[in-house]
Amino acid sequence: MITLSAVTKLYNEGRPNQMAALDGIDLTVPGDAVTVLTGPSGSGKTTLLSLIGCMARPTSGRVHLNGDMVSGLPESFLTGLRRTTFGFVFQRFNLVRGLSVIENVRLPAVPLGPDHVELTERAMARLEHLGLADKADIPVEYLSGGETQRAAIARALINDAPILIADEPTANLDTVLVNRFLDIVADLRAEGRTVIMTSHDPRIFTASLVDNVVRMVDGRLDTEEAPA
Amino acid sequence: MTPWLRRQRALADYTLSALGRRKGKNISLVVIYALIVFLVASIMMFSSGMRREADLVLSEAPELIVQQLTLGRHELIAGGEVEKLAAIRGVTAAKGRLWGYYYDRLNGANYTVMVPDDPTIKLEQGQAILGEAIPRSRGLSWEGAPLFLSRFEGDLVKFDVVDTLSHDSALVSADLMLITEQDFRDFFGLAPDVYTDISVSIRNEREIATIIAKAEKVMPKARFVTRADISRTYQKLFDWREGLLVTLAIAAILAFGIFAAEKASGLSAEETREIGILKAIGWDTGDVIAMKLWEGALVSVGAFLTGAVAAYVHVFLGGAGLFAPVLKGWSVLYPDFALTPQIDVLQLTTLFLVTVLPYVAATLVPIWRVATGDPDQVMR
Repeated sequence: MITLSAVTKLYNEGRPNQMAALDGIDLTVPGDAVTVLTGPSGSGKTTLLSLIGCMARPTSGRVHLNGDMVSGLPESFLTGLRRTTFGFVFQRFNLVRGLSVIENVRLPAVPLGPDHVELTERAMARLEHLGLADKADIPVEYLSGGETQRAAIARALINDAPILIADEPTANLDTVLVNRFLDIVADLRAEGRTVIMTSHDPRIFTASLVDNVVRMVDGRLDTEEAPA
Repeated sequence: MTPWLRRQRALADYTLSALGRRKGKNISLVVIYALIVFLVASIMMFSSGMRREADLVLSEAPELIVQQLTLGRHELIAGGEVEKLAAIRGVTAAKGRLWGYYYDRLNGANYTVMVPDDPTIKLEQGQAILGEAIPRSRGLSWEGAPLFLSRFEGDLVKFDVVDTLSHDSALVSADLMLITEQDFRDFFGLAPDVYTDISVSIRNEREIATIIAKAEKVMPKARFVTRADISRTYQKLFDWREGLLVTLAIAAILAFGIFAAEKASGLSAEETREIGILKAIGWDTGDVIAMKLWEGALVSVGAFLTGAVAAYVHVFLGGAGLFAPVLKGWSVLYPDFALTPQIDVLQLTTLFLVTVLPYVAATLVPIWRVATGDPDQVMR
């Protein structure tokens, strides 16, 4: 479970172009569930997701992960959490161009110094599960949109993270690929993982497997009831 | 394998894959880098090889040479002086030497003409033993081809070439021509009882200073040249020549420095983004720096080894074709000989430190700057 208390995030703090991306957020994200942060562009979804995923620290307020405060931890501890607790799927997937699919999937595990053979087997198993085993050795720039997304998911799960963080994972994907993604999320849930994602795609936040939808507007939680 | 080693292996593995993505750029960097190392290492290896060679040759030279001076210039010395020097205690032997220069108009080269003082060298009148460069430059390619020398218009003196000096001593004997004393005196029109200078053998080398002090009393106008003096002159000569080439090499190193600094100072947008991705997926600043250290090490150590090995092959196996004209020999006649392969660890270490460390250090600063940023930038 992740709890945010009075969380504020300012960019360019103290400068003329200071901007409040988040303003006084109080939120509890349940574990063992699928949570979707939704709202229009610029509403602060991605910033909130990056605070939840320990990629940035709030300007004020606190973030607790399973009861432990993580918002005040030094960078090295946050790195440790990103490595072991969270798996990330970025909006543009952010695979490293020029490297093969399997090299990309192995990347998060490299600093842990794993056994090379064991790691490759683990990565291949992930790719197999996501239907990408036959693409393991090709450079990622030759993948289609859906394949790129699945490669990014395989990379996010290589360290067996219990929480998957995904930022707009279905942007620019057609309905078939969106449904395929929802199937993958269902599988992850079946494995007992928590999934937190941002999306303004109704096909995602209205999906039956989503347990919790958090609406945002202008850096705040939108507490008004959505129209039925 | 320990976890630390496994981590390093994994980082190196990733770095190699990452380097492979920009093959053209990285190969050209390594090639330029290796060329610079090759150039500097060749000069260093060659010069130190030459110094050793000179010392080797000089180890057989007499301990002391005595030369008569007139008006500050080298003058012929009277035969009677030989006896005076031989009579000094501590002197094993004193011998008058005959040597001079002959300018060969046919090839524009100067030969050092000398009467050998080695009793094992048997020469008869009309015969000559030549340094290896003379028959080469005169095109005396067949066995027994005579050497004709002309001192003035209409003059022709014939010498039968009975032997050629070995390549081992070619550093100082390439232009040497050995003839009998009688031929020498006839050829140069020299009086019977004068010598060019006197070679003095001394039993105990530590007594040289004392013997010189005694000899100065006997021959107050003479100049005394010790073997150490000759060695020093050679060393200075090679130092000077090495300095000349090193100056050129410094220009190349500077150009490379600018190239490396340019590469090091500005990370491309792609590299910056890649570091952001790595940080976001769980690499910490230390991991990124370790990976970039591997990159720097693979490029610079790879280039260093390539350059150093190429320099070794060039100098010791390939005869240093690129630098020989500058570093060895005199004007027209160049000795042809192979240097004894030897590696000066101190020199190589210095070269390693001045090429590899600055490169690695220069690449680290911008990486560190980017790697310490917040990883959430890749989210935006």
